[in-house]
Formats: sequence, C-alpha cells, structure tokens
Amino acid sequence: MIVCVAVIGQQNNPLFLQSFTQEDDDLKLHHIVHCSLDVIDERVNNPKRSGIAVNEAFLGLLYPTESYKVYGYLTNTKVKFILITADPEVRDADARNFFRKFHVAYVDAVSNPFHVPGKKITSTSFSRKLRSIVDNLGSITTV
Amino acid sequence: MEHYPEELRTPPVMLVSLVGCPDLHPAVTSFLHSENPPMNTLALPEFSKISVLSGKKQKDGNDIGATSTGGILKRDWISKHRTKVPSVVAVFFAMDRVAGNPAQWQQVCTDLDNLKIAIHSRNIKLIVVLVQTSTTDDISEDLMTLLKKRAEIDGKFFVVFGQKDESDIRKSCNRLCGVFSELSNMYYREQVRRIKGRIEKKNISCFELNIRYCFKARTFFAIYWLEALKLYQDGYHTLHEVIKDSKRLPPIQHLVEIKAVAEQFNFKVSTLLLHGGKVAEAIVWFRKHVTTYGQLVGASEVGFLHWEWMSRQYLVFAELLETSSASAPGSVSCFGTPDNPLTEWEFQPAYYYQLSASYLRERKNGLSKSLLASGFSDVADAMDDSLDSVIPSVYVGQFVRLLEQGTVISMLPLNDAEYGCYALSEGKKVQDMFEITALFRRSVESFSSLKASRMSSYCSSRVAKEYFASREFVNSKQLFIGVADLYRQEGWVTLLWESLGYIRECSRELGLLREFIEFSLEMASLPAFSFTGMDIPKNSLEYGPGGAPSLSRRQIIQEEAFMLLKENSGPGDGHSILNLAEGQSIYLEIDPVSPLRTALLASIFFHEQSIKPGSSTSITLALLSQLPCPLEIDRLEVQFNQPECNFTISNAQKKLSALTLEQQGSREEIAPTLTLETNTWMRLTYNIKSEQSGKLECLSVTSKLGPHLTICCRAECPASMEGLPLWKFEDLVETFPSKDPELSFSGQKIIQIQEPEPQIEVSLNASGPALVGEIFTVPILIKSIGHEVNCGELKINIVDARGGGLMSLREIEEPSHNSLDVELLSVSGISDEDDSPRDVENIKKITHSFGVVPVPSLEGWQSWSGKLTIKWHRPKQVMVYVSLRYSPNRMVTAPHKVSVHKSLQIEGKIPLVIDHSFMLPFRRDPLMISMTKPEDESGQMVSLSLNETTILIISARNSCEVPLRLVSVCIELGGDASVSICSVHRIGGNFPEHPLLVPGEEFKAIFSVIPHVESQKLGVGSIHLKWERDSNSLMFGKDTDSCVSIEQKLPDIQVELPSLIVTLDCPPHAVLGEPFTVFVKVQNLTSILQEVKYSVGDSQIFVFSGSHNNATFILPKSEHVVAYKLVPLNSGHQQIPRFTVTSIRYSAGYHSSVSASTIFIFPSEPHLNHDGSSTGLELSAPLSST
Repeated sequence: MIVCVAVIGQQNNPLFLQSFTQEDDDLKLHHIVHCSLDVIDERVNNPKRSGIAVNEAFLGLLYPTESYKVYGYLTNTKVKFILITADPEVRDADARNFFRKFHVAYVDAVSNPFHVPGKKITSTSFSRKLRSIVDNLGSITTV
Repeated sequence: MEHYPEELRTPPVMLVSLVGCPDLHPAVTSFLHSENPPMNTLALPEFSKISVLSGKKQKDGNDIGATSTGGILKRDWISKHRTKVPSVVAVFFAMDRVAGNPAQWQQVCTDLDNLKIAIHSRNIKLIVVLVQTSTTDDISEDLMTLLKKRAEIDGKFFVVFGQKDESDIRKSCNRLCGVFSELSNMYYREQVRRIKGRIEKKNISCFELNIRYCFKARTFFAIYWLEALKLYQDGYHTLHEVIKDSKRLPPIQHLVEIKAVAEQFNFKVSTLLLHGGKVAEAIVWFRKHVTTYGQLVGASEVGFLHWEWMSRQYLVFAELLETSSASAPGSVSCFGTPDNPLTEWEFQPAYYYQLSASYLRERKNGLSKSLLASGFSDVADAMDDSLDSVIPSVYVGQFVRLLEQGTVISMLPLNDAEYGCYALSEGKKVQDMFEITALFRRSVESFSSLKASRMSSYCSSRVAKEYFASREFVNSKQLFIGVADLYRQEGWVTLLWESLGYIRECSRELGLLREFIEFSLEMASLPAFSFTGMDIPKNSLEYGPGGAPSLSRRQIIQEEAFMLLKENSGPGDGHSILNLAEGQSIYLEIDPVSPLRTALLASIFFHEQSIKPGSSTSITLALLSQLPCPLEIDRLEVQFNQPECNFTISNAQKKLSALTLEQQGSREEIAPTLTLETNTWMRLTYNIKSEQSGKLECLSVTSKLGPHLTICCRAECPASMEGLPLWKFEDLVETFPSKDPELSFSGQKIIQIQEPEPQIEVSLNASGPALVGEIFTVPILIKSIGHEVNCGELKINIVDARGGGLMSLREIEEPSHNSLDVELLSVSGISDEDDSPRDVENIKKITHSFGVVPVPSLEGWQSWSGKLTIKWHRPKQVMVYVSLRYSPNRMVTAPHKVSVHKSLQIEGKIPLVIDHSFMLPFRRDPLMISMTKPEDESGQMVSLSLNETTILIISARNSCEVPLRLVSVCIELGGDASVSICSVHRIGGNFPEHPLLVPGEEFKAIFSVIPHVESQKLGVGSIHLKWERDSNSLMFGKDTDSCVSIEQKLPDIQVELPSLIVTLDCPPHAVLGEPFTVFVKVQNLTSILQEVKYSVGDSQIFVFSGSHNNATFILPKSEHVVAYKLVPLNSGHQQIPRFTVTSIRYSAGYHSSVSASTIFIFPSEPHLNHDGSSTGLELSAPLSST
C-alpha cells in the first residue's frame, strides 16, 4: 500500500506531499521524506558506487524504515519524486511504472501556464491524478 | 551485547579433564589453551575428586527430560559443557608409582576402575598417560600392555609423557593434544547421534527437541563453522513452528520465551555470518529476523516487552556490525535494485542504532501506557511481596517464583497476570531516557561523519525531544536550534514548525521572554495554512507543544506573544514565568538574513538616483508582514547615514505627546494609520532633501509596537532584496514593494547628493608658447559670480601632456640639481581688495609639479588674481591643471566643499639655435703638419695656427614663433683670465644695439681668435647670449629680469705652429688693360730649409709675365716672394690664374681657392668716393664669402 508520495524541488524543498493513509502521521512522513534526501545525495554524488546509469531516473529503494520502504526517482531537472510504501515487497517494475506515471502527471502539472516553476504544486487535478495512479497501483502490488 | 553471557558471545570450546600428577597440569593446561581451537581443561589433582565427572549431581538437569518441565533451552547448558562435563579424561600415572611394589600397582588398578565407573554414565572417553619420572626410566612393553588392558583402551590412546627437557615436554603435549582432539570429536559426534536417535525414537514431532538438538549439535561441532551455521538456521526455522504450537506456557510467557531463544539463535547466526565476511547475507538474515518477529507484538498490556526486544535486536546487530572487521564490501553496488535490495544505510551501524533508539522510545511509550492502563501502583503494592521472589528460571526466557516452605524451596510457575506485573515493575526500573539519548547521539555522530546531515538532524531532534520530556530545556533548546537551521535552509515548513514549537516552549520554561517573542513571531509568520479553523489533525500531539501547523494556531501564537507585551500585563500577572519587568522592553533586530524577516520586512527606495543638494526627492517606505493578525504600529523611525535627514512617522490614532517630546528637533510625519495587514505592502512616501553632498543612505527602520516592543529592521532595497525564505516557494501572487515596476526591481536605498554648482570663475591664460630658460608667467584669475569663497585652496598640478614624466630619462640616470624639464617655481597672488601683495610665495610646494596655495576669502563678486611662474629647462609640452576647492558657506565646519577645475596646455620651445664656425683670414693659408696627416679622431677638432688670426662666426637663429630681441652676444674665455693663452675680440657685427630677430631670422657676430699657446686641446670659452621677448620690453619696460641668458660652450681647439704660410697678395679690383701685380709670399716659419715648387695655370682673361713652374729653397725664418704682373683682357668678376705652391718636404700643396682668386675688373678707371665705407666693402667681402 502506498502511504505517501512527494515531489522535492531542486533546492531540496518540498513542492508537494500527499499521504494516503487514514492516520494523521504527516509529520512522520515529512521526516521520512526529508531523510531520504540524504540517500539521494549519496547516490547522485557517487553514481559508480550506487550503480546508477547516467540516464537512469529511477533510484530504487532508498532505505527501509521501521514500517515503510522509501523509493526515489530523480528527473533531469533535479526534481525528486519520493514514494513511501508499506508493502514489504515491491516489484521493481511496479515501482518504475508508478514513477513513470508520476512523472507524466508532474510534467502536466508544471506545464500549466499559471504554475510558476520552483513553487509548490497546489493543483487539485495533479493531486487527483496521483490518487488514481496510487489506487491503480495499489491493486497490483498488494499481492 | 554485554548482557549476553560470555559462553554465548564466544565460539564453543571443548572441555577435557586431567586426573593425577597435578604438577603437570599447568603446563598441559596452558598448552591446550594456546591451541587453535583452544581447549578448556578440568584439572583434578587427586582421584578422590573424580566423582564430579559422574554427573549424578546434575540429575535434575537431564536434558531430554526437560520437556516435561517445560522449556526449550537451559540457561547454563553451554556453560556446563564448558566447565563441568568433559569429553575426554586423561589419567596421569607416574612411572615410579606404577612400576614399584605390588601395592602401588593395586592402587593404580583401583583408581582406574573407579574412574571408568565415573565416566561410564556420560560415555566420556579415557586416555592413559604414563609419565616418565626420570630420564633413565625404561618402560617395559608388559607394563604398557597391562595398563591398556586394565583401562580397556586402544593402543593409540595410551600416551607416554616424556619430560626430559622442554622440547620433550612440548612433544608430549602435542601428542596428547592430538589424542584429545580426536577423542573429543568422537565424543561429541556420539552425543549428537545419541540426541538425534532419541528424537527419532520418540517418533513424534517435538519442535523443542529439534531446536535443542540444533543448538547442542552446534556446540559439539565446535570447529565446523559451516555446519554450525546450518544447524543454527535449522533450529531458528524450527522455532517458528513452536510459536503456533505450544500449549506448555501461558501465551505471554510463551512468546517471551520464543523471542528469547530466537534472539540467541539470531545472535549466533549473525555473528557467524559477519565473522565469515558475509555482511550482505547477515543484513538480509537480520532483516528477515526483525520482519518475522516484529509482527509478534503480543498482548498489549506487555507490548513494551516487544519494543524492548526489538530495540535490543537492533542494538546488538549494530554493535556486531560495528565491531565486525568486515565492512560493506566494495563489490556491493547498485543499492536498492532487485539484484541488491540492500541500501547504503543498512551497512551502517548508525542506521541500526537509530532504529534501536526508536524502538526504545516505543518501549517507553508502551510502558507508560501499560502502567496507566493497569493502575500499576495499586497492583504492585498488592503483589509486592510475591514479585520479589520472581527469578529467572533454568530455561532461557522463563521466570518462576521461588517458594520457601520451611527448609524446602520450590519453584512455582507464574501465570500471565503475575508475569505482567513482574515485567511492569522491572520495566519501571530502567531509565530509558539515558539509553535513548545515548543511542541517538551515537547515530548523530555516525551520520554526521557520513555527511548525512538530514538523518543526523532527525536523530538530533529525537535527542532534543527526550531532553524536553525530561525537562532539560537548555539542552533541548540548543539541539532544536541546530535542527531548525537545516529545516529553515531547505524550506521544510512542517518540520521547522515542530522544532520551533519546542524551542518556543523551552524559552517559555526558561523564562527567556525575548526569545519566546522572537520564536513566536517566527512561528506565526511561517507559511503554514494546511488546516484552518477546527480542522485540527487527530494526533496534533505529535507536533509537540507547538500544535499542528494551521492558520488558527498561528493566530493564537501571535496573539499570545503580543498579549505578553501589553501594557497592562505587568508583573504579577498569571502563572507564567514570562513576565515583563517594570520598564523592560523587548528590542528585536531584523537583518537581511534573520528568519524574522517574514514577520516584518522594510524595503526602502528613493525615487531618483541622484539629486542636487537642497532639492527634494521622494522616498518610499514599504513594509510587509506575514503575521496572520494585523500589526498596529505606533511609530516608525527612519534612520539615515546623515542624521539630520532622520524622521519619524507617527500613527495619528496613537500619537502620544510623550513620544513626540522625545524626538524634539527632528522631523515628524503623521500617518493616518499604520496598520500592517497580512501579506500586504504598506507603502508610505515622503519627500526628503539633504544639503550635504555625497551619499545619503537609509540604514534602518525602527518600529514601535506598543510601549514594550521595538523592532529594528535593517533597510533593504528592492534592487538587492532577496525573496522571503519559505514564502518564496508558496504558490501565492507575488507582490512588490512599489507599484512602479521599474522601482520594484531597481529601487535603491542609497541616493547620491550632487555637489552644488560652482559659482566661481577660474581663468587661466598664457600668451603663446613658453620659451626654454625664461620664467614663464601664467596669470590666474578667480572671480566670484555668486558664491563666497571660504577656506579656498588652490591646487596646481603640472603633468606631461604626452603622459610621460617631467623628468627625462637622461637626467634620471645622471641626477643633477637641474634635472627637471619643467619646474613650478612659485604662485603669487594679489587681491583686488587690497593692493599689497598678500600670500605671495605662500606656496606649499609639495613637489616640482604640484603646489597648493590658500586662496583668501572672497565675498560675492570679488576676485583674486595670481601668477604661476613656471620654468622650462627643456622643450616640453605640459598641461597645467588648476583646481579650486572652497566652501560656499561661512561656517568653517561645513563639511561639503565645491570644486572648480581648469586646465591649460602650454608648449615649451627653444628660443634660439646657436651655431658657430671658424674661418681662416682671407688669402692667407698656413700649412700645418696636422693637415697633412690622415684624418683621425683628433682630426675632428678644429686646428688653428699659433699667433695667427682666425675668424669665429657665431650665429643665433630665432626658432620660435615669437620675435626676440638680442641683448648681447659675447664670448667669455674660460680658465684663468690672467694667463693669456688666447685672445678673442669682436671684430664685426655692426648691428643695432639690441637687434630684433623675427621668427626664422638669423643673427651673426664675428670674432677674431688668436691663440698664443700651442696646445693639443685648448678651450676657447663659451658663448654668452642674452635675449628677451620683444613684447616684454613693451609690457614691462626695461626689466633686466626679463633678460634670459643662454650659455653655450665652444668646442676645444687644437693650436699648432704652421710650417709655411702662403699669402696671396692681390688687389681686390683692376682696370681692363692696366697691368697689376700679384705677389705670392711663402713664409718659412720652420728652422730648416724648405724646398717649394710653385706653378701657375694659364688663363684666357689675363696676360701675365713670370715663370709657369719653378722651384726654390726658402731659408729658415725667411720669406720668399714671387711676383706676377697681370694684364686683364676682360671686365667683370674674373678669376686670376690659379697658383699652386707645393712643399716638397711635407708633400702638401696650396691651391688658391676660387673665391680667393676672383677679382673684379673694371672696364675703365672707376671714380670711387674714397671717403665712403671702403673698409666696410673690404670687410664685408670676407663676410659675404661665407
């Protein structure tokens, strides 16, 4: 089950964070997303050690927490997507597929002429689109 | 890891026993200890002690029977096999005791029999060691056979222990060790087989037995690591079955036992994997372990036990990882991919420390919940006595109660309720806070060293929370401030909100009012508005004392802060320790990097970039606040770098007389209202003017909000203003400090006040070019056309117009007193008010090219004139810069001054070009020896004949554009005038007294030079020429000062005595047809006879008498004259026949020159007036000949 998705800006500032749990653990999710930026920095700065291909956006599993797993994705414009899931096992292809759709939704959202690049994403349609992606994926991964 | 017993932390060790010959035991024991793997020894010095080997005392500890009493593993099982139950017994017999009398042999047999009986029940293996007591001991085969037979052992288990020397002892030990090893292995294998056989015999699936088997088998297979690992893993997996299956114990205790056993298995497996360098496998194993058991939380009333257990798992694994020599292998790459699901942090102990601490926090929370739920204190009191007697059972993970009934002590099992109480009472004793902070601190250090600042900050915030919970506010605040910095930088508002909430609360608890206000304002101005109104998240407690971030919460925080500062909330108010002392006020300073910029931002800009002094311009003061409630400002004070421009803006609604009194003398503006709405610029525009030229900069804006709060904002200008941090990421409409877009991007808080327009005229004049040598005067006129001149200062600067220095290179190399090309001599001034020269020569000359002179005070329309005197030593073009700096006001202290600049280009030229030339007398030529020699260096020098007159012609040509008047020309002889070595007289130049030379005109003066001394190098003297400008005499009258003298040295000459002098004596004119005589005189000045040849050429014009060619001898110091009579045949300028005189001795000849041999032939007798200037005609002839 996907717990949270987030978009992080070039300056590592949060642009969008949406949780999909019934519990109000926003703060905890914020902490998890923020800490995952350390892993992204580590992977981006040591691409050889991390084994990331030059044009590979998907960063894989960033780190597991007590109850969640955190996955990352880095766009060409250094915007990061974070996925927090409670599923113990997530298939690599599912994660990639999710991020690809996420990326498309993000591109659509920031292509809005009224959106100022670098500012928080407040588009409700982006939020709705993400929810539908999450719902679709949820049915696949919760095997 | 320290809480595990040593036998669990270290690899299994074999135990062997030594009986008899106690003096050998130390050597054998130490040898076995040093072996790899080491062996423990149980040394029994005497045979009387062998009963410990029988194992009868341990009857209650029968392994297999333990199932009935309930339990999986016994606590002391490993320890027992390490210290009590040997696998092999070696019995030592001294040779002399065996081979002695029959009684001794009998004793040996008895001892052996007893020993065999003792070890029979445990199936312990036996070795017989025969110790040689002396070197001469001879061991008979019979004795050995007898002993083996008696002991019922194989031959190879009979060892003869030699002790002749060290090496012999060592050899014996080695042999003994080999036998020990073999038999131990045999023993342990048998044990394993026995246990397995018994399990199979039971023919039921008993998981506990299987687990025990795996555990024991591993212990017996001490040296086979791979097998050991497999056995441990098998045991661990079997344990999973027990979880569901067992009905032996009440559920809570059952789970506790299972987890305790699983913990031991996991510890052993993890240790083995890590020691084997399989880090990745160890991590995967551990991950599975915590995932599997992480779900087994158990009953909620003792849930904290689970978190404690989880925390311990992470802590132990972290310590194992830290102490393990194996680090993340280099081959591990591609973290977080399907090939390698592990991530970077999982290889770092810090990650596990952090999780361990997190679970410990869970435990702490769970414990307090359980304590609350159970009403523990009451229960505990009731059960206090019974809880005291609870002790750990012989089985791992079990507890029992000791019951003393008289002398009988029995152990009773506990029910879950009792166990729960026991666990709670034990849990209460643990000081979680110290452990949690210690673990988090370890993580902070590790993550910091890994440059994982965010993880490190997260752990720091957890430590700070623990401090906060234990009311250590100073530590807590300090840590939170560090954490908040990172969140502020990266714009994580929610996380920052949480940290600020804690800091604010810490400040409140510590009684720091100023900081409380500061952090309250920062919190209130954060862009947090995800929740509005009553929509508060359920677990808002998670956010700490700040509450959940919401607009309403921000409003509450702001109001609370301002409430504290209200006038009426004085001391004695409320229960808070945050009270404002009498007269105390809070002063906050906000600079461009302060986080409080969001609370109040002051943007200042002038509408123009520069203005004239005294003229006014507009300045706009734009204030912005993101505080959720409107800010009511009482008064604004605007400060500039020129204090006289400072002004205040008072709120008309709150204008207090007291406030105005304070600011008496400074400008005060009244604004109808000074209320600052959220995210709305308040723009105030005022006129401002400054009299002082230079830079006018707005420094700060101080806002007074009520009587106790002052906020000073450093002025920022739109051109260089950074966006508000945190707010810049918000999707809000961007607003600007000015409505004018140009000013919004380029407005400056600095304006340039120009210098006032000078109302003084400075004129600088020069008539034509300057001439080298003269003192050139440049008149200056300073005339006021409005301004007064006070403290005037005139600076004069002369620079080379072509950019070079005023000193030529040549002179720098050879410095002399007169090495300057151009020199400023003086500045003198005359005021038109006062005729007497004032300030004359009052020049503060700093260098040859720079001077400063004070200018007297001038009132309106007065003038001052002065003169600059400059002297050119060499021709050069220069620029003369003159700058007058004065103060237009009478106030001496007035800081601003006005400058007027003027410049003039003047060219310095050479006035006269002086030249000279030497000439021989007409028709008189001396023959000098030097003439006959080929020209060499000395030939450059002019040679003059001794005591003969030579003509010197001095010419001076006006090379400038100014008419010059020549005052005098003379030659001054150098050296001692009393010794006449050379006489020079002016013989010509019959010119006006002071001839005027127009540009380009040349003047010539003629001198006769008669050297009296024969010399190779004779100085003739130097030309002294005085001149003046023609205009000078007209302007200034005859002023000798205006005369400029030029001195030019004449070159040295060579003087020698001529050998012969040839003189052509010929009349200057003749009459056609009338004969006249021409004499050629050759004078021999030498003391020897001179032979000369002479000849005369033919001419068509003349008929002459005399020999064509002849030769003659001339006596010393005598003269020979040759006369020719010539009759002219033609009139006009005619050349007489040319004479040639040749000296044979010197091979030198004289040829009469064309000019010397030309005469004028009158056609008939002229009628000349002999009273005229015939001498002038005669004298002018040589002159014209030049």
